[in-house]
Amino acid sequence: MYDLQLTAEQIEFRDAVRDFVTQEVQPAAIDPKRLEPFEKPLMTDFLDQLSQMGLRGLALPEAAGGAGADLLTCCVLLEEIAAGDVDLAMVLGETALLARAVHDAMNDSQRKRWWPKFDAGERFHLALIARDDDAELGWSYHHAVPADADVIGAPEVVAERDGKGWTINGLAPFVSNAPVAGLFIVQAKIANGSGTVTLLVGRDTKGLSIDDDLPAFGGGGERSRWHHGAMAAVTLKDCKVGEEDVLAADAAHRLLQGLVARRSIQTAAVNVGVARAAYEAAVDYAKMRWQGGAYIVQHQAIGMKLADVAIQLEAARALTMKAAWITDHPEAVSERSVNDLPWHVVARTFTAQSLHRATLEATECFGAMGVMRDMPLQKYVHDTLVLQHSADCDLASPLTVAEAVAGYSRS
Amino acid sequence: MDFSLNEEQRHWQSEARRFSDEEVRPISLARDQIADPRATFDWDIIKKGSKLGFRTLAVPKEWGGHEADFVTQTLVMIELARGDSSVSKTFSQCWKWSHLVAASCTKEQKERFLKPFMEDDGFLLGKGGTEANAGSDNRMPPENDPKAGWKLRAERDGDDWILNGSKMFIANGSVAKLFFVDARTNPDVGIRQGTTMFIIPKDTPGFRIGKVFNKRGWRFYQNGELIFENCRVPNSSVMGEVNGGVKARANDKSEFGDIELAANALGICEDAVGMAMHFAKTYKRAGKYVIDHQLVQLKLNEMYMLTEALRSFVLRTAWERDRKLPDVGNNVLVMNYSQEVVQRVTKANMEIHGPEGCMMHARVDKLIRDALVWTHLAGDTVQRVKVVKRLPDMPLPM
Repeated sequence: MYDLQLTAEQIEFRDAVRDFVTQEVQPAAIDPKRLEPFEKPLMTDFLDQLSQMGLRGLALPEAAGGAGADLLTCCVLLEEIAAGDVDLAMVLGETALLARAVHDAMNDSQRKRWWPKFDAGERFHLALIARDDDAELGWSYHHAVPADADVIGAPEVVAERDGKGWTINGLAPFVSNAPVAGLFIVQAKIANGSGTVTLLVGRDTKGLSIDDDLPAFGGGGERSRWHHGAMAAVTLKDCKVGEEDVLAADAAHRLLQGLVARRSIQTAAVNVGVARAAYEAAVDYAKMRWQGGAYIVQHQAIGMKLADVAIQLEAARALTMKAAWITDHPEAVSERSVNDLPWHVVARTFTAQSLHRATLEATECFGAMGVMRDMPLQKYVHDTLVLQHSADCDLASPLTVAEAVAGYSRS
Repeated sequence: MDFSLNEEQRHWQSEARRFSDEEVRPISLARDQIADPRATFDWDIIKKGSKLGFRTLAVPKEWGGHEADFVTQTLVMIELARGDSSVSKTFSQCWKWSHLVAASCTKEQKERFLKPFMEDDGFLLGKGGTEANAGSDNRMPPENDPKAGWKLRAERDGDDWILNGSKMFIANGSVAKLFFVDARTNPDVGIRQGTTMFIIPKDTPGFRIGKVFNKRGWRFYQNGELIFENCRVPNSSVMGEVNGGVKARANDKSEFGDIELAANALGICEDAVGMAMHFAKTYKRAGKYVIDHQLVQLKLNEMYMLTEALRSFVLRTAWERDRKLPDVGNNVLVMNYSQEVVQRVTKANMEIHGPEGCMMHARVDKLIRDALVWTHLAGDTVQRVKVVKRLPDMPLPM
């Protein structure tokens, strides 16, 4: 049965993270000195401390030194971190996601070489450079994806065999975690051949360069930065990688399979955390602010807003947890306990849409202070907007649910 | 019914359109992206616009203004806001208070304050009501709490008044040369009975500007803190009567402030619709022009539908004010409505553009941020609740 009862151990872990976030992370994250400037450097001290608490290895098996958390537990913890700072949650979520997948995909000798490095430094994060074939899938509703469809920002990386190994060249304009990654998992097209090869490329590899973090306004002011976490372009110029760092083809396939869905569900949990922060701020303020001859929480108009936000928040959290639980229990679908749907899309789109609206409502409780940059509300609104317009969640994303309902298959 | 514009209205509309396209829009994004809230302002654009008559558009002809009707004012705000919402607001903020001056100042006060305003292209106006602990209470004073509302104190000293206290978020705060300031002259009664409005030049001793607020949207627009420390103001600078501040304000029947926000929102909507249409016809997704996807067709339909409905409502309301028809609350309703429209339309524009990798079109982002301001002004719950008292028993025919 679908079970949301956390174990004593899970509750202990959650509460430890919650305490740290409430006492340390959130006060720093909403300090006006951090809120007002356009640039918001990643709070690396907190990233390191959260890493020391074991969050990078959250989803790694216990045998591999991790916490062995299932996706549902990951979601519970990511919500806690995101309630303090969305960027920390996205960085740790990505590393935890990739650590589980790449540890599984590596052979013994690869694990022996790379895992001590992962364990040794808390600043050793993971990043993936790979084309997401499902990006913009909704735009091809009931059609095959056109071969020449251009996905903006997709990496273009080519690997050429050269005797002892491979030479990689290319550019990936937007790589999550690139600024803090110690290891890049790079999927490259095989030059003069067909298919792809997936390689493990260390940060120190000659020819690999990481640009500075994206500025708040890029392209001569024509573009605004629109992402969470840490993001940078990665250039690969004649990077040499030995045969020993090639992932076996079936392992590489396994690594990428389901990754997008897991990431989307984690992102929905992050979204819940952001909206929760706005909600908690609104509740506190409404109980404290006196206007109209009463604490504003006593006015029906404010009460209705808070109720609506609370309802949206619980509905979004329930759907996110359900999607995570189903991912953890695939037999629930195969044995027909739940519908066979792209649950990650269901959770991600519902969460993004409902919580953006909820965050706007929470913000209204603050009057003019809701738009002031020295207050966190305007940032929460922006954060929920970014979450509503990302690679895995846009205008067309829900159409993949309609395809599933209709039983449409591209293959 | 006749929806056509007269020659004067068309003239101002096309003047504003030209200024907006050629002067305002080119500086809009760059100003938005300046981090220091004091540095986003651009005097050059204000002076250029002033020379074309946009600063003094609403002043009566008797005092050298253009005495433009409300329909014209609305048309000009729409055009300017299409270039930049907060530049439009900076100009129209001056009209708002020139309506007040025309309605409630004595001839001597007009001589003293309106003349320099007319002569100086850099002369902007502001009004101080809001305080840290008095926002909604000023708009809708609670019956059970007569102490509610602004606290700024003015005490009589011979022929003068001494002011102490501060105001928050005041529009044009850091750039205006003249302010209309609400102060308590009788703290023992509610603000409707105990407020006096003072006319205070920027350089009055004891008056200074504190913080300039750093906002997510409307970044060009200046909102400042006004600080009064034993600020001495002569009794001749009281607008209307002592303890008659709220009445002085009520003499201004224009209800301009409400139409103003709705018209400004319409300018943003036009901008968003134009951007979305251009994008949809220019770029492809999944091998088809964006506009060839039904999803986008429906979004564009929604954007046009909302924008045109807002246009009808705004211009009808301006036309009603020009004819001095009975006030049945339309000016507030259109303002409330404009919040929903401007936020839905700018968001639809974002949905059509979509993210570009990890970046977003900067102007799409800006329009969303500017529209966010409406939640906290035009559509706020107090405004919505307050107007109900003014609504007729059932909607009246025009």
